[in-house]
Amino acid sequence: MSHDIKTGPSRRSVLAGASAFGAATLAFPRMSLSQDGTVLTVRSYSDLQILDPAYRLSAPEGDIMRAIYAGLITNEPGDDWTWTPYGVDMIEQLDELTIAFRLRDNIGFTDGYGQMTADDVKFSIERVANPENESPYAGDWAALREVEVTEERAGLIHLNEPFAPLWNSTLPTTTCSILSRAALDALGGRIATEPVAQSGRYLLTEWTPRQRTVLRRNPDWAYEPGGYDEIIILPIEDPSTAELGFEAGDIDYTWTAVSSIARMQETPPEGGVVVEKPSLAYVWLGMNKDVAPFDNPNIRRAVQHAIDTETVVDAAYFGAASTSTGIIAPGLPGHREANLYGYDPDRARELLAQEGVTDLSITLDILNQSERLTAAQVIQSNLADVGIACEIKQNDSGTFWTLGSEDGDYWDQLQMIIGRFSMEPDPSWATVWFTPEQIGVWNWERFDNAEYAELHAQGLTELDPSVRDTIYKRMQDIMEESGQYVFLTHEVTGVLHRDTVEPGLKPNGEPLLGEFRPA
Amino acid sequence: MLVYATKRLGLAVVIVSVAMLLLFCMIYLIPGDPASVALGPRATDAMKEALRIRMGLDQPIWVQFWNFYSGAWTGDLGVEVLSERPVLTVVLEQLPFTLALIAGGITWSVALGIPLGCWAAVKRGSLADRFVGVVSVAVIAIPSFVIAIYALLIFAVTLRWLPAIGAGDPGDLGDQLIHLILPSLAVGLGWVGYIARMVRASMLEVLEASHIRTARAFGLPERQITYRYALSIAILPTVTLLGVGIGQMLSSAVFAEIVFARPGIGRLVFDAILTRNFPLVTGAVLVTTVLFVLLNLIADLIVGALDPRVRSSF
Repeated sequence: MSHDIKTGPSRRSVLAGASAFGAATLAFPRMSLSQDGTVLTVRSYSDLQILDPAYRLSAPEGDIMRAIYAGLITNEPGDDWTWTPYGVDMIEQLDELTIAFRLRDNIGFTDGYGQMTADDVKFSIERVANPENESPYAGDWAALREVEVTEERAGLIHLNEPFAPLWNSTLPTTTCSILSRAALDALGGRIATEPVAQSGRYLLTEWTPRQRTVLRRNPDWAYEPGGYDEIIILPIEDPSTAELGFEAGDIDYTWTAVSSIARMQETPPEGGVVVEKPSLAYVWLGMNKDVAPFDNPNIRRAVQHAIDTETVVDAAYFGAASTSTGIIAPGLPGHREANLYGYDPDRARELLAQEGVTDLSITLDILNQSERLTAAQVIQSNLADVGIACEIKQNDSGTFWTLGSEDGDYWDQLQMIIGRFSMEPDPSWATVWFTPEQIGVWNWERFDNAEYAELHAQGLTELDPSVRDTIYKRMQDIMEESGQYVFLTHEVTGVLHRDTVEPGLKPNGEPLLGEFRPA
Repeated sequence: MLVYATKRLGLAVVIVSVAMLLLFCMIYLIPGDPASVALGPRATDAMKEALRIRMGLDQPIWVQFWNFYSGAWTGDLGVEVLSERPVLTVVLEQLPFTLALIAGGITWSVALGIPLGCWAAVKRGSLADRFVGVVSVAVIAIPSFVIAIYALLIFAVTLRWLPAIGAGDPGDLGDQLIHLILPSLAVGLGWVGYIARMVRASMLEVLEASHIRTARAFGLPERQITYRYALSIAILPTVTLLGVGIGQMLSSAVFAEIVFARPGIGRLVFDAILTRNFPLVTGAVLVTTVLFVLLNLIADLIVGALDPRVRSSF
């Protein structure tokens, strides 16, 4: 298979375009491209920068890699976090430390790299896990001992210790894409932006940087074929632009801005279907306990009582999202039913009076996005009600995401933030960022609790769901008891698609490109 | 002329050098760690440090500047560290889209502005003149992003005559041109007003000139006088205005590229700043600076060649 990486229009086409432009300015009915077969046009929020599963930088890259590289298993579309075989015809957990797999017998790599073998599985998994390779996803295979090849297409995955997230957030994800050892050896160990040895339902046939990526159905894929002959992926950062593109008929599937969900549901675009999906993301108000005045637990508690989270979330998300009770979303082990400390401005004033605080001014750093700004403004108003003046500091993404890092020079001045993280469907993905070892890295509140750290480690190796449920609930109780967190929302994901498309979506609304089908 | 050209070229080199220094300083005053932003939450300290070394951020700032400066003069703008593609390649991929957008904007502004200006001048003091005056000021006053959004809503969303997003099929020139219509209108419409006002003012001056009166005395048709003898002279200040306008159209192009989700230098720089992709920011801004300086240099040389007074006054 050959693929064609295009790098923008040619000089000839630009010159010809400029000279013919006058004629094109005449108004005429919109031309449509003639296409052979079925074509799906989808929006992703960023262009790809790398096509190596071990070093991927963004979720849209993962979506593409999932379609072009077969993994052992993949998520099933639907409302529950379940998985289905992708590259295997058998996979099962023999005991807490051993997983057996057998590859389908007819999965080939492109570019002449032959059939996929168990040795390729061994290579791909151990490549991610090996610390020397410095994959950011090494933690997904933290419990790996080795992959043993037992037959040409069968093997055993051996773990050092039980690993609860394995079936939820390791095996079905792009981290477990299977690459060809021979291809990677030939490339010197890494894939950049030119895919090699593709093996999935689709093949990446064209990448025009910052313009579009084209996937075509893999003619050699012998199993459930992709639903479309061609999938065109357009990188569009701004969700509002994507919505207009949808309304103009240029794209068939996009995420919408949260602020648009209610409007879209009331008056959906012609031929459009709006789907609301629960998000796994979590948004919180955090207080840095190492910086005054939040070194005082009673002031932290006063802020917890001062914030009317219902109003904050209603205002920021136009009524589309609900308040949260922690960092673990409904449907996952550890989701709590209620918060420990609710909105009680009288209690907040009492606590402030008790501490002799009369003229308190604090700063709240946020990312410069409309939802965050609205939330911050309501928080500012709530705090003013109890006598705290709050200055909102907006930051662009490049600045915001380094504010609390000890590599920078602001972490010891940072007082409050509105944070938002997304996650995979395992509670450990949420709790990992608040452990003591993350202080000054991503734990910007500098929350430091030994019991929490111990429970996090225990949660990773505990396989009993009910015990895990108890562990993660307790961890969120500890977070809230510290006074450093006000849990705001898990947000919501709005999906907009044509009624002629049956989208393949994970329960949180993320796309499974290989599972999209004509309706 | 040779002396003038040499001096002008020397000045262009100085301008580019100063721009590079300012650019470098501004980039490094922006807060935020490029390695943390680029690699995301799962990166370890070792990975971030490795990326900083690959980006050359571990070097003293003067060494970084020297590497950037010396590389730039040899055409080596470095490597985009995440995709490992040469920065110059990445920039040159995007440049044609922006140039096409600006060319389209100029086409709109010339195609509409010159006839409107001529019409207003010929119909001086009439209702038509006043109408053109109001329209000209109105399109100058409306920000280009507002024009972009309304054009998109009307022609793409409501009427569905034109596409809303993208730059068209890479292999299909017709499709690319259709995708260029709305964004270039957004970029060029404001300039319709400037050009109409400028052409009207110049035309009124020229129409009073003695050679035009002579032409009228010979009984030449009014249309021929206006478009053949008056406009050919009145158009010269407009050409100069357009030369300056290219810089402003570059700014408008950023909005158009974002609103219409088009590739291009504006969006490239915008995204690169957000992700603190310093090699890409410096490379893209440097290329556009050089381009702008080069165009101005060419314009100055042409003017100098045509007008000896300009050469002697430099």
